[in-house]
Amino acid sequence: MIELRELTKRYGGRTAVDGLSFHVQPGAVTGFLGPNGSGKSTTMRMILGLDAPDHGQALIDGIPYAGLAWPLRSVGALLDAGAFHPGRSGRAHLAALAASNDIPASRVDRVLDIVGLSDVATRRAGTYSLGMRQRLGVAVALLGDPGVLLLDEPVNGLDPEGIRWIRDLLRGLAAEGRTVFVSSHLIAEMALTADRLVVIGRGRLLAETTVTELAAGDDNLEDAFFRLTSQVTDYRGGAAA
Amino acid sequence: MKTYGFRQAARMERIKLTSVRTTWWLAIAAVVSMVASGVGVGLGYRSHTPIATTAQILNNSLGGAILAQLLLGALGVLLVTGEYGTGMIRSTFAAVPRRRVVLAAKVAVGGSAALMIGLVASFAGYLSGQLAIRGTAIPAASLSDGAVLRAVVLTGVYLGVSALLGVGIGAIVRHSGAAIGLLFGLMFVPTIVAGLFGEDGIAIGRFVPLLMLLNSIAVLTPTPGLFSGAVSVLVVGGYAAAAVVAGGLLLRLRDA
Repeated sequence: MIELRELTKRYGGRTAVDGLSFHVQPGAVTGFLGPNGSGKSTTMRMILGLDAPDHGQALIDGIPYAGLAWPLRSVGALLDAGAFHPGRSGRAHLAALAASNDIPASRVDRVLDIVGLSDVATRRAGTYSLGMRQRLGVAVALLGDPGVLLLDEPVNGLDPEGIRWIRDLLRGLAAEGRTVFVSSHLIAEMALTADRLVVIGRGRLLAETTVTELAAGDDNLEDAFFRLTSQVTDYRGGAAA
Repeated sequence: MKTYGFRQAARMERIKLTSVRTTWWLAIAAVVSMVASGVGVGLGYRSHTPIATTAQILNNSLGGAILAQLLLGALGVLLVTGEYGTGMIRSTFAAVPRRRVVLAAKVAVGGSAALMIGLVASFAGYLSGQLAIRGTAIPAASLSDGAVLRAVVLTGVYLGVSALLGVGIGAIVRHSGAAIGLLFGLMFVPTIVAGLFGEDGIAIGRFVPLLMLLNSIAVLTPTPGLFSGAVSVLVVGGYAAAAVVAGGLLLRLRDA
């Protein structure tokens, strides 16, 4: 379970995340929705201890991330598709991270197999397509067979086959009783993948609900999302002339 | 083991270090630069100054260390900034949240690798200088001569320490270009400044890495006024330690 208590992050005068409190339950896929710049990625980085909150805390099964005995075996994270050295092979990238948490080398082959990168494992990761990079990121997240998964925009750059694969994978992981927390700004995708939803705007919690509940009042999830975020969207385009 | 620690982080760093081509290219370039200066110096004396002394040959044939220190310094810098530049650092800190454990592992793994490369490069520079003067009247410098062995070994150690200075600067600056630029600046600018003071410059010069390398570490007899070779290496080691400690403090304070 992931628990946020009054989590707050300021950059200079701007408050990126503002007193955010919510729970992410095990056994379900929880979608994390919000417009661009609403603080989704900052929140995820704070959960992982990469950014320090100015106030409040984020707990994984009751413990701050930095206190986990074997972080990769408790929490698997896909932060962005570029969190690797382009000159290193996918296999070496995974092997290095596995070594840091005493994860057996056989697990590296296993996750390469799960994400479908076995054939290109020895190629330098810089030569991978965007979709392959995402798959490598997913492999990192699965490496420690963790009970909690955090994925920031996992379907970015994936083809339709890849998107369906991610969807099935996440739903399968949740069905095994794991906590799965997925950020996205693709509402249609979330409608298909998530059971529960956390919606934020300008760093504040707008809704903590289920997909069914949120869509119930409006025609579809997209309209419901726009209704929720209409006051907090920072960047909006106009109609073409 | 109930939790991760230095041992795991060091294994991770060893895999990272050996799995990028840059490491191998920089190591090869460091050795080649020492060999090239050794051969070049030997051949130069052979054809132009056949009455050189042992000290002249030895001191000059280790001159490739000027370039090698920059290459190994860059290796140390890239151990840290290579991760910040690519986003790898977030994967690393997510795996090992105690950042100073990561830094300690980088110091241990990068430092010992650079020490090995430095010693190989230094001995290679010495040997190629000696081979290039074989058969001339120039007296050979034997490693059984304590002063010769000391100069060659200390040059290798100095090269290893350069990499640690690089790790520290990398952790402070976090940007490859800026960190390598700063490292090069720190190597050369104080040398020029010390030169401005003329005769008095020696009082400053004995604290300047490049001058220590060329006049006290990689030589048979240190220039009067400078520290002994071993003390000079310790002084540079102190700079590296200060940079690493400063980098370690900043790592904890800053967001990844």
